[in-house]
Amino acid sequence: MGIISIVKANNLLWLGRYAERTYTTLQVFTIYYDKMIDMDPEAYKSYCDQLGIPNVYKDKTDFIIQYIFNTKDPNSLVSNLSRAHDNAMVVRDTISSEALSYLEMALNILKLGYKGHTPLREMQKVLDELMAFWGCLDDFVEDEESRNVIKVGRYLERLDLYFRFSMPYDKKMKEYMKLGNRLVRSHLKYKEETLQRLLDIINADSSDQIVRFEAVRCINHLLEEGF
Amino acid sequence: MQELLDNKELINDMLARYGVRFGIYKNGYFKEQLFPFDAIPRIIPADQFDVIEKGLIQRVKALNCFLEDVYGEKRIIKDGVVAEEFVFSSSGYLPVCERVHPPKGIYTHISGIDLVEGKDNEWYILEDNLRIPSGASYPLIARDICRRVSPHTFVLHNVAENRDYAQLLKETMDNCNCGGINVVLTPGRYNAAFFEHSYFAERTGAILAMPEDLYVEDDIVYYKDYSEHPKKVGAIYRRLSDEYLDPMAFNPDSLIGVPNVFDAYKKGNVALINAPGNGVADDKGIYYFVPKMIRYYLGEEPILKNAPTYLPFYEEDRKYVLEHLEELVIKDVAEAGGYGVIFGKDLDKQELEKMRQLIINESRRFIAQEVIDFKDLDIVDQGEIVPRKADLRAFVLYGKEVKVWKCGLTRFSRNPDSFVVNSSQGGGFKDTWVLSQ
Repeated sequence: MGIISIVKANNLLWLGRYAERTYTTLQVFTIYYDKMIDMDPEAYKSYCDQLGIPNVYKDKTDFIIQYIFNTKDPNSLVSNLSRAHDNAMVVRDTISSEALSYLEMALNILKLGYKGHTPLREMQKVLDELMAFWGCLDDFVEDEESRNVIKVGRYLERLDLYFRFSMPYDKKMKEYMKLGNRLVRSHLKYKEETLQRLLDIINADSSDQIVRFEAVRCINHLLEEGF
Repeated sequence: MQELLDNKELINDMLARYGVRFGIYKNGYFKEQLFPFDAIPRIIPADQFDVIEKGLIQRVKALNCFLEDVYGEKRIIKDGVVAEEFVFSSSGYLPVCERVHPPKGIYTHISGIDLVEGKDNEWYILEDNLRIPSGASYPLIARDICRRVSPHTFVLHNVAENRDYAQLLKETMDNCNCGGINVVLTPGRYNAAFFEHSYFAERTGAILAMPEDLYVEDDIVYYKDYSEHPKKVGAIYRRLSDEYLDPMAFNPDSLIGVPNVFDAYKKGNVALINAPGNGVADDKGIYYFVPKMIRYYLGEEPILKNAPTYLPFYEEDRKYVLEHLEELVIKDVAEAGGYGVIFGKDLDKQELEKMRQLIINESRRFIAQEVIDFKDLDIVDQGEIVPRKADLRAFVLYGKEVKVWKCGLTRFSRNPDSFVVNSSQGGGFKDTWVLSQ
């Protein structure tokens, strides 16, 4: 078993969450981007609504540029990836310089800003780097407990986003199983009853917005104080 | 070599990939920037490095003896070799360190000694850094990247291996470890050298600890584990300065220290790397006395020379300094990082007079040095090869033996008219090749 302080466990968890937030929202974003080309130019409004972020964008072009590249927009992809990077920097000794370098490269692409051609070209590179980052973690993080904490963060975030975007039952259940598996192995303290309630909500497979809100609340209060 | 130069951009991209940055605070804001790398290495022939190596080992041994003495018997002061005014009025002298013996008697675990090569082919010591010298990580990672970018270059040149630094550092920590884990203690993410702290923790297998990760109980230092299994700490490679290290022993306002860590150290339960109180030995005023220390403690002649230095504190020196101020460089002993360095030639008549008055009124505050005409090194600037001033920070590690790392941080000024090479002042860096034959 490795040696992880509370502060470091927090960093690992939030590294997992923010990296996953960037990774999953980027994939959903590309679906919405496609819709906005010739089907529904205002699809971004629904995207913001589902994600629970304020629609501060003038139109679809403004959304595409600001949401991806604006470092001053706290909900932008670059802001989320910066937070992942901030957490990763302080755990370099745990995740390795190699794994960290993929986050650096992904962030550098976003920080260079809009280049005037289709942003999906840049986004594909960011996705590639993020996928490499996840792969690298499996290879380079030797301490299993640290890996488990990052993955708890990752699956918490993924499940949160899957509820927000109303993903199908199968997808949510798959992530729930992964989360449960990692939680036990991570030794993080969590609330059994909240985990059970989350399972009940998934099994109910309701599209009711109030139930979705409750699920998101369960996810964000699953771990004991301090996380 | 040409291949390296042709790939300068790629090397710098790779350095960015690995987050090789340093931070600076300017106008109250923290900004991180890449440390510009120049691909033309400084090359030191093997025979020349042999001399440097012997000289540095000698110097660091003498400085370690001085620290042991000054916080103990004070023989060197009693014997009139070092003036007590330069010891007890130094801001680096810490009375709480009196009679405190570090594990294995080692104070100067990691020394960063700044040198320049004069046009007379002689190496001169400019400064000793015995507190928390930084910079070794930059040539270490740069070499690694250069080898990947241009392996052929390293087939053709017999460059001594530099990848052993992490191992040397680990041996240094292990040697004085009092039982427990090794940690690299960083003040945090917004420290100028945070990249180096995290990189060394990774490379040495030590734990990177923030101050809040450590606590002291019954004079034992523990690392707080989130699963409630605290780990005893045996050695702390601390990267925060003495005044912030322990609010109970030093600056009570410090929020980034570890309360009572100094007590644990005094009891011999943990090693602090480097030892608190080392600032008294790398004070710019004490620098003048280092050759005397070598003779006094080791009974040897100094192998490496100091830059010719005058202490206005002594009447004879003061007279010379006041008469030759235009030709000298004046250094404020309380400043560091390239600040407080004034070249007499840059001052107008009025400023010179003001400086003279300051020297007369506060003679202990300044040292004066002859301006060494040191060799320029070539750098590539906007595609052109141009000469620039450069120094060398050599790293000396004191473990079971005293060893000099066969590399070093070569820093250069990017400004053609400047002698100041510090990264905080916009300088860049080079790899340092020590030839193996």
